[in-house]
Amino acid sequence: MAIIQVSNLKKSFGRLDVLKQITFNVNKNDVVAVIGPSGSGKSTMLRSLVHLEQIDAGSICVSGEYLVKEGIYPKLQDIKQITAKMGMVFQHFNLFPHLTVQENLEIAPRLVKKESASGTRQRSTELLEKIGLANKAKAYPANLSGGQKQRVAIARALMMNPEILLFDEPTSALDPELTGEVLQVMKDLAEEHMTMIVVTHEMGFAQEVANQVIFMDDGEIIESGHPSEIFTKPRFERTKAFLNRSLK
Amino acid sequence: METLFCFWGNPFMSFDYIISILKPMLEGAQMTVLLFIIAIIVSIPLGFLLTMAVSSRIKPLSWIAQGYIYVMRGTPLLLQLLFICFGLPMIPVIGEYLVLDRFVAACLGFILNYAAYFAEIFRGGLLALDKGQYEASQVLGLNKWQMTTKIIMPQMFRIALPALANESVTLVKDTALLYAVAVPELLHFAETAVNRDFTIVPFVVAGIIYLIMTLVLTLIFKWIEKRFRFE
Repeated sequence: MAIIQVSNLKKSFGRLDVLKQITFNVNKNDVVAVIGPSGSGKSTMLRSLVHLEQIDAGSICVSGEYLVKEGIYPKLQDIKQITAKMGMVFQHFNLFPHLTVQENLEIAPRLVKKESASGTRQRSTELLEKIGLANKAKAYPANLSGGQKQRVAIARALMMNPEILLFDEPTSALDPELTGEVLQVMKDLAEEHMTMIVVTHEMGFAQEVANQVIFMDDGEIIESGHPSEIFTKPRFERTKAFLNRSLK
Repeated sequence: METLFCFWGNPFMSFDYIISILKPMLEGAQMTVLLFIIAIIVSIPLGFLLTMAVSSRIKPLSWIAQGYIYVMRGTPLLLQLLFICFGLPMIPVIGEYLVLDRFVAACLGFILNYAAYFAEIFRGGLLALDKGQYEASQVLGLNKWQMTTKIIMPQMFRIALPALANESVTLVKDTALLYAVAVPELLHFAETAVNRDFTIVPFVVAGIIYLIMTLVLTLIFKWIEKRFRFE
């Protein structure tokens, strides 16, 4: 059963169509890698799933509830309730610089879900241990490396117990030697059957961890399928050309 | 040469003389400090509200706030003080109800003026904030109020601190404008002593008192900056 159903998504900025008729499904426990050249609309598509971008037409249905139905959004309260099922990890981490690592993890459960201090403290401590940053609990983001920041950002998203985790180029802002630690955390999540949609340039990750790859170009999904199909026998010339460029 | 001679002329450099002028001058300095504290306590929150109004999506509110800031920053503080002290009572019909105590009027003038400057400082802090902060807050489900108070304000305040410190030092020195509306403050007592005793020593003493006040203020802000470094 599809946990996310996206159909005929359209969005334009002025006269530029950034998304044209995007349709795809994501099943529970899927790891979907969205690949494609810069400016192909990957990030915009991902951001529209959590209502960071408003779409012009089409539908997005998240575990049976419509975030937007044929271009019409429900009232804000409903939108919030639906987007709360999803967590998001950003390219530039977007940690709160004035809060310690542990406070970054705890602020949303405390404020939004009104969870108890002791409960959130216990969970944040567990999560920090899991991502190997227990010793950084009291550090501020400014004192972390990029890879550590991104791991904290993933933990922060997990604190809200999302059904689906979205990643917007999670390793693109990192030095090459720091991408490994972040990808490892994502692999661990995949093994725990977290449903994930990952916009990425990491072809290795897409090949190894994803069970569905979506190739986008110029605001369209050109093709999608299992990584073994997409990477070994792509059907379209545009996919081939992109893969040739990226796998070099 | 006359003045120099006067400066070094023994009677006015004596310890006793300085003590004798120090007492009224320190009383005047109390007025300065009181005005400073009232002005800064009220105008900082007011400035923040103005910033919120300027960046509000309700256009008329934004326009009014922008117009207010333009007028307050575009005219001299001295003019504004004179207007409140002496101008308001001259307005027909309602003027007689607008006769304020000089000190109250001065406080009002400083608050209204400095709120506009602080609003601009806070606006700068707001502009410097990365939009990712808003997006992360939104995705985590924080509502507008939580986002503003827990995420935006602390960071905006941190970014604005150096400019805030600078403006506060200016505020200390601007309190000397009380002189123009005849509220007895530090400078007033210095000038009285200068005229009475024909020596510039009181001016020097006044300068030193201002320097001490701004030094204390600068140290306080340095301490706050250190405290909010987030490292």
